[in-house]
Amino acid sequence: MKNPEFVASVVLAIGTAFVIAVFFRNEDPMTKVKLAIAYAGLIMLFLFGFLILAAIASGKIDISQLLEEKGADAANGGASMGRFQLLIFTFVIGLSFFLVVLYKNDMPNIPTNVLALLGVSATTYGVGKGIQATAQDNKENGDGGGNGGNAGAGGAPRAGGD
Amino acid sequence: MHSLVKAAAIAGFVLFGGFFCVVTWKLLTGEISLSYLLDGDVRDSGSSTGFTTDASAGRTQTLLVTISVAGYYLLQVIHNPKQLPSISPWMVGVLGGSQALYLGEKVQAMLPGRMGDFFK
Repeated sequence: MKNPEFVASVVLAIGTAFVIAVFFRNEDPMTKVKLAIAYAGLIMLFLFGFLILAAIASGKIDISQLLEEKGADAANGGASMGRFQLLIFTFVIGLSFFLVVLYKNDMPNIPTNVLALLGVSATTYGVGKGIQATAQDNKENGDGGGNGGNAGAGGAPRAGGD
Repeated sequence: MHSLVKAAAIAGFVLFGGFFCVVTWKLLTGEISLSYLLDGDVRDSGSSTGFTTDASAGRTQTLLVTISVAGYYLLQVIHNPKQLPSISPWMVGVLGGSQALYLGEKVQAMLPGRMGDFFK
């Protein structure tokens, strides 16, 4: 079995559903089913998330290149501003969303400007990648860039991606 | 049903907090590298790779604007956590302008010919 942790999570969630169904004896059958499914889903989602979190923390899932991107010379690059920005906005808006749900006990409305904020950031990342790809194409086609065919022959260390 | 909501809140807190802590820890220890974050590629016919690197004003201002907007938004949420605060259109405009400057600088630095000259 390749991923026994995931199978164990599913089995545990199903087991929880049975326990919940037995535990809430005085509830009517429909409520029992709803509660069992809700608890099982919650436990399964939590365990899946926790497994991924544990794998990232232990290094089994490598995120060391989370912010890195290949540079214009197609070498391994430094940190990408677009990725860093997306990371910051994702965390800030995710944290805000979580706080609001916690206080309100309900799903909040997401203002259009907040979506625009994420959109601007994601668009910049996409356009930056496009510019970079165009620059690489131009270089490969010999369209400027000097003696680009000698890549790797001791050039300057490269900078970040986009 | 109330205990289910509580359990979901705890699960969300553990997972979100965990991801936040792990990524922040890896950023602080250098496992996720931030090297060259403020350096940009520049076309250089004298270089063997065709590109060289230089400190980028566009990246620096983008970083400052990003951190300012993100910090402002977080403060708004902390002051009133009952709803997601809206951002004023001028702030979105400032962020968009900052990104446009950054992309303009990138185009000018990396693309040859008319495209690059357009931004000079």
